[in-house]
Amino acid sequence: MSHLSEEQEKALKILSELKDSQLLSHLNSCVHCGLCAESCMYYLATNDERFVPAVKVALVSSIYQRYCSFTGRSFPQLVNARELDDATQNEMVDLLFGSCTLCGRCTMHCSIGVDITYVTKVGRSMLAAMGLVPATLQSTVNAALQTGNNMAIPTDDFISTISWLEDELRDEVNDPQASIPLNQAGANVLYTLNPREPKFFPLSISAMAKIFYAAKESWTLSTHMYDVTNYAYFSCNFEEAALIAQRLYAEVENLQARRCVLAECGHGSRAFRWEAPNYLQHPFSFDVLTSVELLAEYIRDGRIRLDKEKNREIVTLHDPCNLVREGGIIDEQRYVLSHAATTLIEMTPHGVDNFCCGGGGGQLAMSEYGDRRMKIAELKADQIRRTGASTVVTPCHNCVDQLMQINNKFKLDVNIKTLGEIVADALVLE
Amino acid sequence: MPIMEIEGRVFEVDGDGFLSDPHLWNEDVARLIAQHDGITEMNEKHWAIVKFIRQNWEEKGLAPMIRSICQTTGIKLREIYQLFPLGPARGACRVAGLPKPDGCV
Repeated sequence: MSHLSEEQEKALKILSELKDSQLLSHLNSCVHCGLCAESCMYYLATNDERFVPAVKVALVSSIYQRYCSFTGRSFPQLVNARELDDATQNEMVDLLFGSCTLCGRCTMHCSIGVDITYVTKVGRSMLAAMGLVPATLQSTVNAALQTGNNMAIPTDDFISTISWLEDELRDEVNDPQASIPLNQAGANVLYTLNPREPKFFPLSISAMAKIFYAAKESWTLSTHMYDVTNYAYFSCNFEEAALIAQRLYAEVENLQARRCVLAECGHGSRAFRWEAPNYLQHPFSFDVLTSVELLAEYIRDGRIRLDKEKNREIVTLHDPCNLVREGGIIDEQRYVLSHAATTLIEMTPHGVDNFCCGGGGGQLAMSEYGDRRMKIAELKADQIRRTGASTVVTPCHNCVDQLMQINNKFKLDVNIKTLGEIVADALVLE
Repeated sequence: MPIMEIEGRVFEVDGDGFLSDPHLWNEDVARLIAQHDGITEMNEKHWAIVKFIRQNWEEKGLAPMIRSICQTTGIKLREIYQLFPLGPARGACRVAGLPKPDGCV
């Protein structure tokens, strides 16, 4: 056996020190039927067999065999066991980071239920242990760890932006008492943001502020910790992911909010609502819900009134993978849209089988693979074009950005909105 | 290192088309990148936005907040999105020769 570095030993411990049989079941069960191939956007867009999801599972499995099984240690060639050398590591980075959006579509299509996305994430966590996370992705994680938000926005810039938006809100609703509260203890709702909203795209903040105003909600933002994202979920460094999740957890408790409402952010919802109890090893002491569910609740309970005639253009809906496939939030956004717009034309496929925007899994941050990202985006562009829609709604800021690029590159000439924005456009103020 | 070729000129860029060396930037380069994004002619408003972003980055090492861009240039938010269809980050910051900002942009 060749000499292994300390980092490699740490990576291999992820495979050898198992708490249960979950990983082994998924590593050993693939029957190589190949059905996953046509579920994967990378394979569909390129016909390159390296991108078949089963190949990614086989890669992680081959390392497991080499270091953790008797046959693989003694007769590696019998079980396709592979050394964890430079070539293997480069291939892992290229396949697990560079050609997967963690969209989970392959897992849905697997004939025997192998959780391929989970295996991919285990492989990514090995790379994280070896310091092999692509630099652009790690840079976004570092910004969050060092500054408290993933775009390194200074607090005074954040506060002046919110104050500017508050002035605009007062003009918009013609009420000098309208507000965007900051750091108010004991509010019903602590609302979070994706940092790209205050930095570059604040229309979605204005939209939600207007909706909260109409619903007469008791709500607040925190200036200390408002970032809904957790890019360490993508890098699969679970210690860093836990640090980021803990900050938001602590801030909800600090401000004694009853509910933490997650901004329209697919991975952020996944990383906090569904993963944070695992990262932190304890349950939540407060309610956590996505803003998609909150909007549906406001409509159902009559807390806001909408006039869908205000949105008469043809609308289609892009489902963020982390909300629909991973989180099971499928009907809520459709219920909201049925009240906010007159005509929804669904994409084919949609809902749990929808294609990723192409920018998931950290791809949007990873410039290293920008060409591939825009190559697989052709599938999404075709889907949108076939609906004939002039507006694409998606409850995820990451998807919004990728859709903006798709719109520009493939000349779709559509408007792209968050769910909150189209709801705010349909609001009827009492 | 990927390259971007516009009108016979070749630039080293990252995988998202942002200049690898932001110091190679000048107004001619800005025009070329803008053309690449389908902005055939940079008007006064385009320049006001790009120059402010560039100045902020040179002074503070960061792209400015959209609030500062709006308030300094006097251009309305929605108009900025029309002027730069890829948005302030992938659109205006790229034309201004900045490195790609971190995050969901």
